[in-house]
Amino acid sequence: MNKIISIRDAFGRAIANEGKKNKKILAISIDLKGACKLSYFFKDFPNRSFEVGIAEANAIGIATGLSFDGFRPFVASFGSFLTGKNTEIRNSICYNNASVVVVGTHCGLIGSDGATQSALQDLSIMRSMPYFEVFQPCTPLDTKEIIKYVCKSKKPTYLRIARNEIPEFLNKNYKFKIGIPNEIIKGKKKLIISSGAMVYNCFKAIKELKKSNYGLLNISSIKPLNIKSLISKLKNYNKVITVEDHSVEGGLGSIISEVIAENNLNIKLKNHGLKNGFIDSDIPDNLEKEYSMDVKSLKKIFLNF
Amino acid sequence: MKNSEDLKELRVKIIKSIQNTDSGHLGPSFSCLEILYVIIKKFINFRKKDRNKIILSKGHAAPAIYAIFDHLNLLKKNELKTLRRFNSRLQGHPDKKKLKILDFGTGALGQGLSVSIGYSLSSKLLNKKNFIFCLLGDGELQEGQIWEAAMYIGSKKIKNIVTFIDGNKFQNEFSIKDTLKEENLKGKWESFGFKYLETDGHSIKKLEKIIKDITNYKYKKPVVVYCNTTKGKGVSFMEGNNKYHSVKKLPLNEFNKALKELNEYE
Repeated sequence: MNKIISIRDAFGRAIANEGKKNKKILAISIDLKGACKLSYFFKDFPNRSFEVGIAEANAIGIATGLSFDGFRPFVASFGSFLTGKNTEIRNSICYNNASVVVVGTHCGLIGSDGATQSALQDLSIMRSMPYFEVFQPCTPLDTKEIIKYVCKSKKPTYLRIARNEIPEFLNKNYKFKIGIPNEIIKGKKKLIISSGAMVYNCFKAIKELKKSNYGLLNISSIKPLNIKSLISKLKNYNKVITVEDHSVEGGLGSIISEVIAENNLNIKLKNHGLKNGFIDSDIPDNLEKEYSMDVKSLKKIFLNF
Repeated sequence: MKNSEDLKELRVKIIKSIQNTDSGHLGPSFSCLEILYVIIKKFINFRKKDRNKIILSKGHAAPAIYAIFDHLNLLKKNELKTLRRFNSRLQGHPDKKKLKILDFGTGALGQGLSVSIGYSLSSKLLNKKNFIFCLLGDGELQEGQIWEAAMYIGSKKIKNIVTFIDGNKFQNEFSIKDTLKEENLKGKWESFGFKYLETDGHSIKKLEKIIKDITNYKYKKPVVVYCNTTKGKGVSFMEGNNKYHSVKKLPLNEFNKALKELNEYE
């Protein structure tokens, strides 16, 4: 097996790689280029990289202005800080349909830095933003594929990037298709739906429950989401469990709830995620246990539903 | 046509468009009119590809920029009558998606100066020799993002952004001084690395001279121009009267009186 790398590292390498071919790609850092892994791009393309200091609002405005002349700026910081700038994202980027990529790293159960540094409401905020496309990769390959798409796209985009180290478990021929959920494991009766770093934990849990016959669906393309394609997968199951390292209010669980309700699907649903907002400080492994996102807890949740 | 004739015509366009649609920000449109007029008419050639940019950060003065666009035949005939109406390109606050000629859609205060930086960096990358003119309100200086942008412009010594402040001394509810102390604006901007100039924001001659000097790189630093203006300029009973910041349809006698005064305005 290849060396295990983090999603953020895969992201950093992928945009540096795309930057070689596409001169329109720019990087904007808010004093966190090392943590967000924009550092690869900064090193390779210093003239197309901008450090703006600890000023998220200004960074969003600068990215907007740059995009008007045809550039594709990636502005990256911790997702909690960036998506907290609601009025700047809404009125500078969205209202102008500006071709800016907002990259929120350090999402979910990030570890000892605690709740202030961790993006836990970012998906619910960003999927309500007009014109935005919202993606969350689950492995290094998924990240690379999504970055390829995003670099070509002109749409305002939010990327939710985990710092978790995740071994590549997708098929090596995997291709990202906009809007299309990826059925990683085909199953019967129960379908587990997840996105981002938690897909791997769900994958391991299902593999350990050898005779369970549970399916696993990864949704990297949070918005747009091809509802027809999603329903065609949901229809093979009568129970669905969503798993997310994000607030259950407005995130993946909400999306699936909306689809099931609006389309009158006869499916029992459980939304498993973070309830009531903030997380505590601790090492990620302990946090996964405390918030029942570790493999052992997930197995129990899957079996008992 | 003489400048003064133009400005008379523009104020009439503004008040009529607001009266026609029943609402709009009259006072602040009148206060910044000369600044916008000089920038757009004298320093922006919309036919040029690498033209200078105008960012109306105080987006509520939309009626003023629309009137100037109309004056320059950049709008459709009678389009001013669609102001603030469904499907109009002339939304209540400027919308770049609908009105492509705009350089930035604004309305939420504090964001225009940062976008000006983006334009400036882009010009540098593309070897364009243009200027970005950004018009802020004096009340808008209370927004923190302005100072994030100012710190960046000052630090990087960005000289192709020209920042204007429409110093009409009022904000939405009260006067500036009754809201927050605005003491020593000159010192504030200078400490951020700017050259601070002050001028009469209703004098076409002075504004034109200042912008000529700046665009000829007379100053070695980024420049901010504080323009002393009068809110509601041009109509005696509106001048300095914050009741006319944002108006509903004016009573007919007031509307007629204003029109009469504007036609006599020099």
